[in-house]
Amino acid sequence: MNVRTLLKTFSMPLALAGIWLFFIWKLDHDALLGDGHGGYGRLIFLSPRNLTQLIVQFSIIGTLALGMFMILLTGQIDLSAGSGVGLIGGITSVLIIQQHWSAPLAMLAAFAGGLALWSLMGTLIVKERIPSFIITLGGMLIFRGFFWMVIQNATIPVKGLSDNLFSLITTYYLPANAGFVLAGVVAGALALLQWRGRAARSAHGLPVPPAGRTWLRLALIVGAIFFMVDRFNRFNGLPATFLILSATAAGVYFLTRHTPFGRYLYAIGGNEEAAVLSGINVDRVLIGVYVLMGATVAVTGFMQTAYQGSSSTTVGDLMELDAIAACVIGGTALKGGRGTVWGVLFGTLIMTSLLNGMDLMAVEPEKRMIARGIVLVLAVWLDMRLSRP
Amino acid sequence: MPSPLLEVRNLVKKFPGVVALKNVNFELHSGEVHALCGENGAGKSTLIKLLGGIYPSGSYAGEILVDGRPVGFHGIRDAEHAGISVITQEFALVDALSVAENIFLGRAPRRGLRVDWLEMHQRAAALLKDFGLNLEPETPVGTLGIGQKQLIEIVRAMDKKSRVLVLDEPTAALTEQEVAVLLDHLRRLRAQGTTCIYISHKLDEVLAIADRITVLRDGASITTLAVQDATIPLIIKHMVGREITDLFPRRPGWSALTPTRLEAAPAGQRGEGAATLRPSNDQAVLSVRHLNVALAKGKPEVLHDISFELRAGEVLGFGGLMGAGRTELLMHLFGAWGHRLGGEVILKGGPHAHPTPGGSIRRGLVLASEDRRRYGLILAQEIGFNLSLSSLREFTRCGGRIDAPAEQVRNQHFFDSLRVKAPGQHTRAGTLSGGNQQKVVLGKALMTGPSVVMLDEPTRGIDVGAKLEVYELINRLTAEGEAVILVSSELPELMGMSDRIIMLHEGAVGGEFARADFAQEKLLAAAMGHAHAA
Repeated sequence: MNVRTLLKTFSMPLALAGIWLFFIWKLDHDALLGDGHGGYGRLIFLSPRNLTQLIVQFSIIGTLALGMFMILLTGQIDLSAGSGVGLIGGITSVLIIQQHWSAPLAMLAAFAGGLALWSLMGTLIVKERIPSFIITLGGMLIFRGFFWMVIQNATIPVKGLSDNLFSLITTYYLPANAGFVLAGVVAGALALLQWRGRAARSAHGLPVPPAGRTWLRLALIVGAIFFMVDRFNRFNGLPATFLILSATAAGVYFLTRHTPFGRYLYAIGGNEEAAVLSGINVDRVLIGVYVLMGATVAVTGFMQTAYQGSSSTTVGDLMELDAIAACVIGGTALKGGRGTVWGVLFGTLIMTSLLNGMDLMAVEPEKRMIARGIVLVLAVWLDMRLSRP
Repeated sequence: MPSPLLEVRNLVKKFPGVVALKNVNFELHSGEVHALCGENGAGKSTLIKLLGGIYPSGSYAGEILVDGRPVGFHGIRDAEHAGISVITQEFALVDALSVAENIFLGRAPRRGLRVDWLEMHQRAAALLKDFGLNLEPETPVGTLGIGQKQLIEIVRAMDKKSRVLVLDEPTAALTEQEVAVLLDHLRRLRAQGTTCIYISHKLDEVLAIADRITVLRDGASITTLAVQDATIPLIIKHMVGREITDLFPRRPGWSALTPTRLEAAPAGQRGEGAATLRPSNDQAVLSVRHLNVALAKGKPEVLHDISFELRAGEVLGFGGLMGAGRTELLMHLFGAWGHRLGGEVILKGGPHAHPTPGGSIRRGLVLASEDRRRYGLILAQEIGFNLSLSSLREFTRCGGRIDAPAEQVRNQHFFDSLRVKAPGQHTRAGTLSGGNQQKVVLGKALMTGPSVVMLDEPTRGIDVGAKLEVYELINRLTAEGEAVILVSSELPELMGMSDRIIMLHEGAVGGEFARADFAQEKLLAAAMGHAHAA
């Protein structure tokens, strides 16, 4: 392995470590090393409260980025996601607070609305051959307009006198014991999958990786899961948003890695004409991927609006760009055909760590924008630079 | 003796995991046409990329000398400064610009800040006239044929005062007429002192144009022959390292087998399935009747009144000039092209009225396209990904999950039986040579278990060894009872491998020939619309 491949493999972890070390040094220096006068401050960046906060932000952007990831895999794009997030959240708030619908019903209706809008955009892109950039740019403006009409440029809270399902999305934490039980179930499921995978390979006479390595890796992953649950439990427990992200990530991982649909996404992004001639119903796959995007937009809309506590005109602003940036930082190719779920989660973590740390340091919004832009450009430049032959 | 114009000494070029060039030596004398021959993967393209400055100095070992002095190119511009112009299979022409703009691309004559259009057009007109090309400088390049585009590239290279013209497979996509025109131009340029490296798989062309021939095999230069000492069998022997006795080893398929052997063959099959599979001369697996197809709804008709029948175990060849409608016919039957105006297609006894590629594949009709890189493969993905792409249904278990081990085993079976030359099925398809890419395309089509296999130019741009393997595959398919449609621009191949040939002429059937009637003149006459004159 030469320097280039080493750099390529570890550039993202290094970047993340760099960002974390920077914020730890800036924010937690006194707490960890003392202020030089014998006094120790309180943890800020690494405090359980902030880490939980960070994970909630990570989960919200991550969910949207996972939807965007599948769109980008096919070589398409969705610029309307951020406006959609605002619109779906706005519809839900208005239905609950002004129309007095029950929260689950309102969310179901808004979710169905998201699916309908995105399947409409997908159909226009596929059947009328309008480039996705244009359709979703139109969607970005139109949805934003609808959004403001729906909330009448006002601020609609997510809850009335008491909590509802909508508001609980970002305020509910899994109790400590339930967290450990869930971790145990996940660990058991992972072990079962590993065992079945090994059995299937040997049943087909294929070489099976050494047992020690498989189980050691599994033990490390399970250990990491329990460690994380324990950390969360020291504050409030596992945030519901994180569970939503985990379920989404598992779903997208299964779709992209283990189903024909996922193969077709990579095939279409790699070479659409060849995909057509390979018998893939490209139109149906593309509409399908937009419908899935509609679903992730709706779920993100619930989370983002609930996280802000109310639906106001700025909810979801520029979120599509955060999602695209997270994908691209994580190695997803904008022209399609390349990218992984792990990469997207990693890219999201880099993005959100940066946003969170700058929040804590009270960096001015204008500088925050510039920093986000620079990180995006740097990441893509590095990726292209290192993958050049 | 003066030092050669260009000399290559002990060139070695390694890629991660592959040695592309092991040891290449050759000399290029001023004023000669020097042919490079070798199978795909022998290292010709790599060598050209080194000479053209695409792989920069320092990325390889060995020496390149121009006029006896070692040179190191850091980019295409360096190579062009040294007088080396490379013309590849992918043209560096902009379709939307005119002939003159393309000739002077990036170096347009200027007056102040403005382009001097008058001078550009005058100079272009003069160049075209010098070259004997009857073209207007204002013509958009996109409206020209491939042969003319090729010549425009050569004109451009000549105007850049190139001393060495490197032509990589210049005739791969040309008709015989265009090839003749190109070769005439090259002879004239040689008479004027231009030196040329000529790479082609078509050995008869090589013998017709080259002064000397260097054969590459497995990344090493094997020998350099003077043209008067070279014969096609000798060149092939050096290229493959062994002698090939039969260039077109067509064996009769199932339909030609005797009844007794026929009964012995599908012993396990009884009842309905065996009955529909049983080949007989009156039952066609595919019949096409009075087919008329337009490019799209409301557009002019392209295919006119085409009728034919295809029987199990048969190879039906389609020939014709470029633009005769062969590819369009295949793409239409497959469901990827055109709007049907009339006629019917019967596939395995049922109508095939509104075909889609997916539907055709499910019903056992597959197509291996002529343009592998564009239509055949997902180059950025692994061989295995490509092989199983059309057959994923077969491996999908409950819950929509792909049974990865089962898929891998099946991929490996095709990888091995097609003898794909690669480290393994996890190698990326884009890194393979043309012949191996073609094997992957064929493997993808065959994995679906087809009964009719349509092959569009299956041997274009692939080397002799791989061609033979494709022919053997055709024999194997027909022996198993599959029917094959073979489209080829090379008449010897078409005649060698087909049981029957239909020549298309301007979108209509120009003539149909049984094997006993195959004769090059008759076929060509039919292709040009003179079936009855011949």
